[in-house]
Amino acid sequence: MKTVSELTDIYYKHLYPSLQELEDERKKIKNKLIGIGFFYTLLIGIITLFLLSYDASTEALFGVVFIYIAGMGFLYRWLIKDYTNDFKFKIIAPLIKAIDKNLTYSPSLHLPSHYFVQSKLFTSEPDRITGNDYVQGTIDNVAIKFSDLQVETKHENSKGNEEYTTIFMGLFIVSEFNKNFHGRTVILPDTAQKTFGDYLGHLLQQNNFQRADLVKMDNPAFEKEFVVYGTDQIEARYILTPAFMEKLLILKKRSKHPVSVSFVNKNIHIAIEYNKDLFEPSVFHSLLKYKIAMEYIQTLHLAVGIIEELKLNKKLWSKL
Amino acid sequence: MSTPLIILIVVIILLILMYNSLVAKKNQVENIFASIDTQLKKRYDLIPNLVASVSKYMEHERSILEDITKLRAEANKPNISDNEKIKLDAQITSALGSIMIAVENYPELKANENVIHLQHTLSEVEEQIAAARRAYNQAVTDYNNALEQIPTNFMANAMGYTRKEVFEIPKEQRENVNVKELFAS
Repeated sequence: MKTVSELTDIYYKHLYPSLQELEDERKKIKNKLIGIGFFYTLLIGIITLFLLSYDASTEALFGVVFIYIAGMGFLYRWLIKDYTNDFKFKIIAPLIKAIDKNLTYSPSLHLPSHYFVQSKLFTSEPDRITGNDYVQGTIDNVAIKFSDLQVETKHENSKGNEEYTTIFMGLFIVSEFNKNFHGRTVILPDTAQKTFGDYLGHLLQQNNFQRADLVKMDNPAFEKEFVVYGTDQIEARYILTPAFMEKLLILKKRSKHPVSVSFVNKNIHIAIEYNKDLFEPSVFHSLLKYKIAMEYIQTLHLAVGIIEELKLNKKLWSKL
Repeated sequence: MSTPLIILIVVIILLILMYNSLVAKKNQVENIFASIDTQLKKRYDLIPNLVASVSKYMEHERSILEDITKLRAEANKPNISDNEKIKLDAQITSALGSIMIAVENYPELKANENVIHLQHTLSEVEEQIAAARRAYNQAVTDYNNALEQIPTNFMANAMGYTRKEVFEIPKEQRENVNVKELFAS
């Protein structure tokens, strides 16, 4: 697999002509956004003043604010639509091909919802799953798929209206695991012990009825970052060897975001909570900026790299 | 209801909870030890096969082969205590390790399909055993903690529970550079 610096090279050398084109487009869109946004704001401002002079109710004013925000979002998406498509086809797609020829990229699709459900990483029932940037393929004979995912659950708010709350937003990766297992092992960021301290946090985790049994691991650094629940104490440790725990710690460090991992149904599921839509073109910053470029490259590299990083390609002999 | 009665009920409930948690911890240790036992047996069953396959070639390692056969016979004896099992397991692990390393010196063995098969099976069993050992150690630590911590220590004393020993995990296995890595190519 190509390294991050090789990919950076590709980004700045091979993709430079496309980047230049997109950069011109971006500047135009940015000016358009600012221009239209200004007039739109002005218009709404005048309406608000008009309403105020007629002693309008607070509800009407809230309505105006709501319309303003919704309209702004709509305008933004409408204006950047073509630019986003161009960006995905001209930049993200070639980058993915450069990482590995066997990978296919579908910008508008997302990971099939059942992977999210079967992962058992989240206990809330998902009601709406959206996403984009679906990548799938086989690397070193190991199947891998990942995409951007936003998962929401529906509930009624105090006024009786339906409302969606986000359960997860970020990168969701599914890959074949190289060992046989039958039960379920779920690894989550350790929030309870961090908030309530070791003793009380541990007590809470032990009595978490939504999860399987608590599995205490023998690596203190790992225990500090993660909490493990599993249906089989031995199998959880068979999967989480000392070396594998170290690798997950490295993955967590590299992603700089909360990482949850689960082993269900022959697969490893990795959810990284970026809390934003990934692989979207930047509008207000130059695409040529190193920091912006690195965000795309590092995220892609991290996702595809898990096969090498976690040695998922070293299959057990009985799985060959 | 009078206050003393309420206090009495609460105390009884607490005692029952304590008793049950101790029993659960003891059973957890026993359960996991039973699965280690199964894995160990699986490994012992592979030993005669391994010895038979390699003994034709291994002239210099005769003594290790004899040792391991003896150890296996001992481990298969009925009525040996858990602590003895733990000790035998450590010896067998190290003897198997030296045989595996010795195989590297014999090109005929390295290419022998039967030996390769055995090596892979052994290394998989080895990984299962390593996982089971770690699970066992955690269960024993929980159990031992309950035996020493207040208030369960009083109850455990009354129940006649004694401390259990943990498996000494060999350093190589803690770092998980096991035999499998050597034959990865």
